[in-house]
Amino acid sequence: MPTLSIHLIKGGFMNKKYLWLLLASFILLMPGPAAGQEERASRYYHYRSTEMSTGIYEEYEVRPRGIQPTFEPRAQPGIGISRVEDEDARAWNRMFLQDSHKDLRFYEQRRCVDCHAENANNRHTIRHGITCRQCHGGEPIASISSYTSRLNPIRQHTHVCSKCHSGANASFAMYRIHEPNPAMASTLDVFPFLFYAFWIMIAIAALTFATFLPHTFLWMVRELFRRRKKEDEV
Amino acid sequence: MKIKRFTLLQRLFHLLLMVSFLVQAATGVGRMYIETSFGQALVAPFGGFYGALAVHRWVGLFLLGLFVVHLLYLFLVVFKNGKKSISGPDSIIPRLGDLKPALQHVGWMLGLRKHPPLDRWAYWEKFDYWAVFWGMVIIGGTGLILYNPLATAQYMPGWAMNVAFWVHRIEAILAMGHVFIIHFAIAHLRRLHFPMDKVIFTGRAGLKASKAEKAAWLARLEQEGKLRSVTAGEASMPARIIAYVVGFTAIFIGLYILVGGLLNARYITW
Repeated sequence: MPTLSIHLIKGGFMNKKYLWLLLASFILLMPGPAAGQEERASRYYHYRSTEMSTGIYEEYEVRPRGIQPTFEPRAQPGIGISRVEDEDARAWNRMFLQDSHKDLRFYEQRRCVDCHAENANNRHTIRHGITCRQCHGGEPIASISSYTSRLNPIRQHTHVCSKCHSGANASFAMYRIHEPNPAMASTLDVFPFLFYAFWIMIAIAALTFATFLPHTFLWMVRELFRRRKKEDEV
Repeated sequence: MKIKRFTLLQRLFHLLLMVSFLVQAATGVGRMYIETSFGQALVAPFGGFYGALAVHRWVGLFLLGLFVVHLLYLFLVVFKNGKKSISGPDSIIPRLGDLKPALQHVGWMLGLRKHPPLDRWAYWEKFDYWAVFWGMVIIGGTGLILYNPLATAQYMPGWAMNVAFWVHRIEAILAMGHVFIIHFAIAHLRRLHFPMDKVIFTGRAGLKASKAEKAAWLARLEQEGKLRSVTAGEASMPARIIAYVVGFTAIFIGLYILVGGLLNARYITW
């Protein structure tokens, strides 16, 4: 090193020989090309851009019993977790979605549960704080029977269930999130298995209690008045 | 004077069943009542809503393991004692002959009949024993279905878990109701045993109380000349103290869950 600096001082920085040496060492020390410099040839290249959801949900939500969604509303439009223009991609996907709430008056001022009150009564919402839009998506919300809906049974397990239940299959998606009240007679039409299972179990429980509650009560009372016999003594 | 009624292994089975049942009750009811402060207090010692589920799963597996061990024990007993353990008077298997003393016992409660001379296992004891079997099969089976939903979905449609959930819940409520009301009353509230029948912890039943209630059993022992070999002294003082502490702790936890559950039932979403 001392010899090099002596040479530099002697020859000066303008000496071409050392200038090339300096440049070569810069190039060697520079970092390689960054991942961000990759070329994006197609908007469909990234899965994120074709996904129905960016994972960011609308500002307003159902807020069941104080359990509130923990995510933050987006600060600026166009800046999300996706690296590509997700707004564009969403619009592209969404133009095929049918809007179930089209032409509803004051729709923006309403919450989901204002109309779909009974649908908030599910364990995903009540016990885990999952909000409507985390599964049903942002606007426009299509009916689950709409072909392009994310909740259409042909794709709900991949597009909705597996967001949390990694590895969910179509059978898994047959779990009834909006479970009908098993006690209601109307359940017999939509979910007969649940209806019968519920009432058979209730019948077993009722029979057991109906037998043993009075039995135990009578017994306790009777034993209070039991006479102690002499032959009991040993 | 005491009489030997339960072996050490049988008492151990009861103790492990009791502890794991209470843990399952606290974690399960706590999660069910999570919307209320009662439920939140119940799951707090287990690490909250999600911690309680982890405990519930592990203890559930333990209970099923205990059940399998008990089945092995039953096979060994039958293998060792042969036909006698199934059809003999010491057998816990219900039979038609239990019907008459059962009806007579009810008659006695109503003041119509004399107290029946019951044998070693009375009809309500047989019911309690086999109720655990049916509970284990139903709660354990549905518990396994709910244990890993993703794995379950490989073998049955997802809606089976809706059904399993409700069966699990109702059967659990039945089991807790039966244990926390009926079983507790029989073991603690009866004048014969008040404030607590320690037999399941010490293994020794009072000879006088047994003579009064299980006359047929005592008569049979006397007739066979076995009475002397099954009598024993009083359990040691520490054993009795431990029995009381364990028993009353279980009572406290059970009644807390029962009363809290009943009072808060209308504040939760079912």
